Order: sequence, then structure tokens, then C-alpha cells
Amino acid sequence: MIAALLYLQGHTFRNRLVSRFKRLKQPKYLVGAVVGGLYFYFYFVRYLFQLPGRRPAAGLAVSPGHLLLLELLGAFALFVVVLLAWLVPRERGALTFTEAEVAFLFPAPITRRNLIHYKLARSQLRIFFGTLLLTLISRRFGGNLWIHALGWWLILSTLNLHLLGASFARTLLLDRGISNRLRRLLVLGVAGVAAAGIWVWARRTIPAWNPAYLADVDSAADYLQRLLTAGPALYLLYPFRLVVRPFLAPDAPAFLAALAPALLLFLLHYLWVIYSDVAFEEASLDASQKLAARIAAARAGNWPQAKANQKARRPWFKLAAGGPPATAFLWKNLIGVGQVFSSRLGVSVLVVVVVLGVLLRNDAHSQGLSIFAAIFIAITLGYSLLLGPQVLRLDFRHDLPLADVLKTFPLRGWQIALGEILAPAVALAALQWALLLVEGAIAFYLPVPHQSLLFAAVLGAAAVLPILDLLLLLIPNAAVLLFPSWTQTGKDGPRGVEAVGQRLVFALGQVLVLALALAPAALASAGAFFLLRLALGPAAAVLLAALAAAVIVAVETVLGVMLLGKWFERFDVTEDTN
Amino acid sequence: MVQVEGLTKLYGDFTAVGELSFSLQPGEVLGLVGPNGAGKTTTLRCLSGIIPPTRGAVCVGGHDIVRDGVAAKRHLAFLTDEPRLFDYLTVWQHLNFIARIYQVADYEQTGRALLEELELADKRNALPGELSRGMKQKLAIACGLLHSPRVIYFDEPLTGLDPIGIRRMKDSILKRARDGAAIIISSHLLHLVEEICSRILILKNGRKIADGTLGEITRRFSEQAGDTNLEKIFFRATSEPGAGASTVPPLLPR
Repeated sequence: MIAALLYLQGHTFRNRLVSRFKRLKQPKYLVGAVVGGLYFYFYFVRYLFQLPGRRPAAGLAVSPGHLLLLELLGAFALFVVVLLAWLVPRERGALTFTEAEVAFLFPAPITRRNLIHYKLARSQLRIFFGTLLLTLISRRFGGNLWIHALGWWLILSTLNLHLLGASFARTLLLDRGISNRLRRLLVLGVAGVAAAGIWVWARRTIPAWNPAYLADVDSAADYLQRLLTAGPALYLLYPFRLVVRPFLAPDAPAFLAALAPALLLFLLHYLWVIYSDVAFEEASLDASQKLAARIAAARAGNWPQAKANQKARRPWFKLAAGGPPATAFLWKNLIGVGQVFSSRLGVSVLVVVVVLGVLLRNDAHSQGLSIFAAIFIAITLGYSLLLGPQVLRLDFRHDLPLADVLKTFPLRGWQIALGEILAPAVALAALQWALLLVEGAIAFYLPVPHQSLLFAAVLGAAAVLPILDLLLLLIPNAAVLLFPSWTQTGKDGPRGVEAVGQRLVFALGQVLVLALALAPAALASAGAFFLLRLALGPAAAVLLAALAAAVIVAVETVLGVMLLGKWFERFDVTEDTN
Repeated sequence: MVQVEGLTKLYGDFTAVGELSFSLQPGEVLGLVGPNGAGKTTTLRCLSGIIPPTRGAVCVGGHDIVRDGVAAKRHLAFLTDEPRLFDYLTVWQHLNFIARIYQVADYEQTGRALLEELELADKRNALPGELSRGMKQKLAIACGLLHSPRVIYFDEPLTGLDPIGIRRMKDSILKRARDGAAIIISSHLLHLVEEICSRILILKNGRKIADGTLGEITRRFSEQAGDTNLEKIFFRATSEPGAGASTVPPLLPR
């Protein structure tokens, strides 16, 4: 029986590889594969195999003290993942099978244990690729190739077994009448007792935490080491440290010494999973159907549905039957945005910001932190321009699979185009304005020089950013209409080296178009600033320069929306997007 | 109401639809039938302005679908076999959205009536993901009918509906035809076409091979007196030249 299951897995893997190689006949995949291959070579493989030009590194390029800190942080991260696995999930334990596997394997004369073995073998394939990728990344910082690879494999495999075992244990608890709520209370209680124990021990044993440590990394690291390497935390984190330790071993003897306890933990987890007598079939059936629905949604470019269970969301405003039709798209897509950014999340962020603000205001050491926060916000604003239009995709990139529906609407192309890009632009602008508000508040409270100039810059940015967001969103939306097969909104999900290459080529193209689009506005605003600076002063010049840039960007955006509308009208819904 | 002149749609060298001409009057129900790949869906997509024809002209309510698409589409509804819905809008939000697109001032009253008629009233706050296949189909129909279109295209309208839904759908189509709507139904369900269509247009390889009432088509393709079954006529009309009536496939292999 195991042989048949291995046959299934082996041939699935082989056929998938063959089809991936076959599609390289298409230029878009071939170009993508070449670019993606070069990217991986230059950024990872050279480091992995220490090819000429790379400095050899025997161990991780960190001091032994930092090695211990890394071990503690890694162990703590694992602890958090494990804690969440016991705390968060509501579903019964399930092995996620594909619908085909459910249809063929569940009615077949295969024991439950063999099914678990089959799933474990399948998960090894995923773990193998995860290990490869993580090794490629971690080897950039030095260290032995095989130690990294085996270390990552041990971490991922043990974690995989633990998550599966935890899901089985949750199911057993449910079968014994222990509800999810009670289980969560128990887990939280245990975690709370542990945290209280650590707190009490720390208060009695080591010096108190000093907020000034936040500004000094070494002091903070030293405090963490003292806190986590003795007392209750030592015992709490010890098993997790055992799992992380082989990966961090500086050489082969240290690795072998760390390997035995880690392997023992792995083996115990394996026995736990295999001997768990849990009826997972029904839950697996449900999980497989959800998985199939998510895959179908993802292949249709419908990522919000692919990600999670959706809930009906209230609209952000009342939509009257009369008025500009573009508003209907804004209304519709903002409801979609609400699937990701709920009002609860907004309130939570606001509470965090307010609490942090109050803490910073009342803290003697807050000035340095406030400056740090101001710089951080400025950098975040910059990144919001780069990443925002890529992340917020509730526009043509989301709705293109429904292009045939949109085309039946009695609307001009530009009306649909404008409507489609409005929601992500509004969401992005709201985020940016919130950041600018915080930036302005920091500027107001801090005795910094050139305060009026800062205020002018904040106001100018508030005027330019919403229009700039619209312009930025035009580029990926134009790309998806002009090159639908390259942007992969369609049936086949983005995977593999060739998909990475395609994205790189595309991102480069978008940056070029963006640079061309922004050049006139940049020149105009620079000219306006230098002309007005002497007459009106730098603050007024900055504000007026920003307004000049906003006007030019607005004109470009209007022209862009008209063009995008034309391209949508010409878009052929029968074109293959695969 | 619908005027089609020399409609042709090419994909490279492949002719999906070739030189198709016909017209449709208010109150007529036209059955569009043909084997798989005959060009039925492509025809409906061209007629609704989803894809532009390579050649020819399509007028809906006196408006050219290419040159004056917005005016033409105001009269139109295209209901596909696969319900195409926005996954994060509830049933009622779909109607609200469509009302704004088509500027339907009294949509709340019409929408409520449609939901009652289609037995969706208790699902008004449900997302498409919470609806069965048939309910999704009903929601798509409600969206299509909200603006009281004068021209309605149905592509396999009964897919996914339960027997009561099918009965109601047939009644709804006939009622709308009686009220003056021009309707085209593309379907493989020949008994449906036979039951509710006043005219039948048979397509094969993108070409029109028959257009007329059931009686007219029967007279043209019938070899024996009394052979008025659309299924037999369909097989005869779409069989290869010279193959004769023997091309009607048996139900079970001999």
C-alpha cells in the first residue's frame, strides 16, 4: 500500500516538473526562467556554494554571545508559534488532502496510519523546498552549508509534526467535551502562570528593566540573555532551544553534539502523531473542500477569498441609485478592502498609536525615540508609494476575471477604469494621511529646527500623495490589461523560478514607466521651489512646489485614466491569461 | 429590437462566427442551438458588446453596440450559465451596486420583489460563498433583471436550478416576452427551446444553418411526415452532409 502511495507522490512530482519544463517553450516563461535563474544565482547560489569572489565562512558571522542570543530568540519564536497552534485554531484536527486524494484514498482499503504516513511524506516535499529557500537566505550570512540545511530541516520537520500533533490533540479534547473556549482558557492560564513566574523571578533576581535599554541594543540583548537563560524561562524555552541549536552550531562536532537531543525530540513528535488515534476523515473532507475552493479562488486571481473565510461587511457609505457610476466601484471595492482592514483592526491600531504617543510624551528618554519614529514614518511613507500599489489590488487586477461582466455595464471605459483604481487609492491615501498626521504631531511636540518647513512638507505631501497614488495605481492596472498573461491574474498561480523572473522583469518595467511619469512633476516642483524660495521663504516654496507637482501629476492621471479606459474597452476577454 | 448584419468573429484563421444575420422583434423568444463549438457563446458575447465583432453590425434598441455601446447596453441583460458574482458583496449589495451602474431609482422596491420572486429574500445579507449554486444563479438573474431590460440574452439559463426554479424561470422568461422584451436563449436543452421559444436559430461551425419557427424548420429538415421532435431535427440539421438521419446517436452502444 505504501508503494502505491509513493508511486502517486513520485509521479505527481515528476509530472509537475515535466509540465513546468514544457511550458518553457513559451517565451514569457523562458525569459522569466532566465531572469529568475540569474537572480537566484547572483543573490543566493554564489553564497551557497561559496563560488569565486565570495569569502569563505566557517561558521555564522556572529560572536558566541550573539549566537546565544540568536538561539534564545529562535527558541522564543518557536515557542510563540507552538503557543498559537494550541490557542488559535477552532477546527478539528485535519490532514488536508486534495479533493482527488479524498475521492480515491478515503474509500480505498488504506489504514489511517498509512494515510498519516502518506501526508507526512508529502509534507516532506514542501519542507524540502522550504529548507532549500531558507538555506539560500541564511547562507548569505555565512556558516556551513550542510549544517544550515540539516538544521532548517530539523526545525521545519519538528514544527510540522508538532502542529499536526497539536491539531490531533485539540480534536481529542473536543471529543472529550472540552470546548475550544475552555481549551483556550487553559492554555492562556498556563501561559499566564509561566509569564508571572518569569516576572516574579526577574524582579527578585536580576536588575529591573530600564526603558533606556531601548536605545541601546547591547544592553537590551544583555537583559534578554539574563532573563531567558536562568530561572523559569530556562526550563520553558529549553526544548525549543534544543530544536534550534543544530542550525546554529558553528562547526561539525558542535552540530553532532546538538543533533542527538534534537533528533530525539523529532522522534517523540513522530511517535505522538502516528499513535494519535484521532478520526480526522470528516474534518479532512471539509478541509479538502475549503482547500479546493481556495485554490479555485486563487487561480481566478481572487486572493481575498483565497486567503480566509469571508464575512459580509457593511459598506463604508450609503450608495444612492443616482450619481457618478465610478462611485459604485469605489463603494464595491471598499467593501472588499474591509475584508482585510476591518474597523476592529483600525481601532486596535489607533489604540496602539495613542498608547505609544502617551508613553513617548511622558518618557524622559522619548526624544530620541520620537526622532526615530519620525524617520521611520518618513521611510514608511516612501515604501507605501512603492509597495502600496502592489499590495492593494482591489482594482482591475482583482476584477479582471469578471471583465466580461464589467463589459456589459452601460459605462465608458474611463468610468470603469476610474472606478476600479479609486478604492486602493483611497485606502492608501488614508493610511498615508494617518502617517502624516502622526508625523505632524511629532514635529509639533519636538523642539526641532525648521519646524515650519517640516509642517509645509507634511502639508505638501498630504496634497500630492492621493493624486500620486492614483497615478501609481494606473501602472499595474495598465500592465494587467496590456500584458494579462504576464501579470498572472488568471487561471495559473504564480510559481517557480520563471514566475519570480517574470515578476522581476515586470517590476523593472513599472519602475521605468514610473520614473518617466514622475520626471515632469519633479522638474516642475524643483523649478518652483528654487524660483519661490527667495521671494516667499523655504516653507511657502516647499508648499507651492508640492502643489505644482500635484497639478502636473493630476493632469497625467486624467490622461492616464482616459488611456486605461480605452485599453479596457479594447481588452479581449477571451485572451488566454495563463 | 435586435438587428444583426453579417456578424463575423475571427480568431486568427479560425472563424468562430461567420456572416450571421438575423433580427429579433419585441416579444420574440429566439432559441440559439447548435453543437459544442458552434459559436453560440461567442455570438452572445458579440451581441452584448463583451467582445467586438471582427466584421458586421449589431444594433440593440436602435443603437450600434460598437459605436454607441453605452446606449445599447442600457437596454441589455446577459445572463451566463456560470453566475459571475462579486465574492465580497452580499445579495442586497449586489442589487445596490447594479442599481447605481444602471441608475435604477426605484431599485429597493424592484429588488425586494425580485428577491421574493426568486426565493432569495431571506438571503439578502449572505455572501455568494454562502449560497448554493442555484441561489447564485438566481442572484445573477436578479441582477440582470433589476433594470427591466428590453433585450435579454440567456446562456443556459436553467443550469443549477431546482425543478421549482426551472418552472419559475420558464414562466419568468415567457412573462417578460409577453411584456415586450426580446429574448435570446442559448441552450443544449432542446425540450426547453421547444417549449418556450417562438423561433429557433441553429448554428454549426459558426454559420447559421436554420432560422425560423419550429414548424418552418421541421418542414425544411423533416424526412417523414409527423417528425416534429426538435431533437431529431437538430441531429439531422447538424449532421455531416450525406450522413442522413442515421447519424442520430443511439442512447446505448449497440
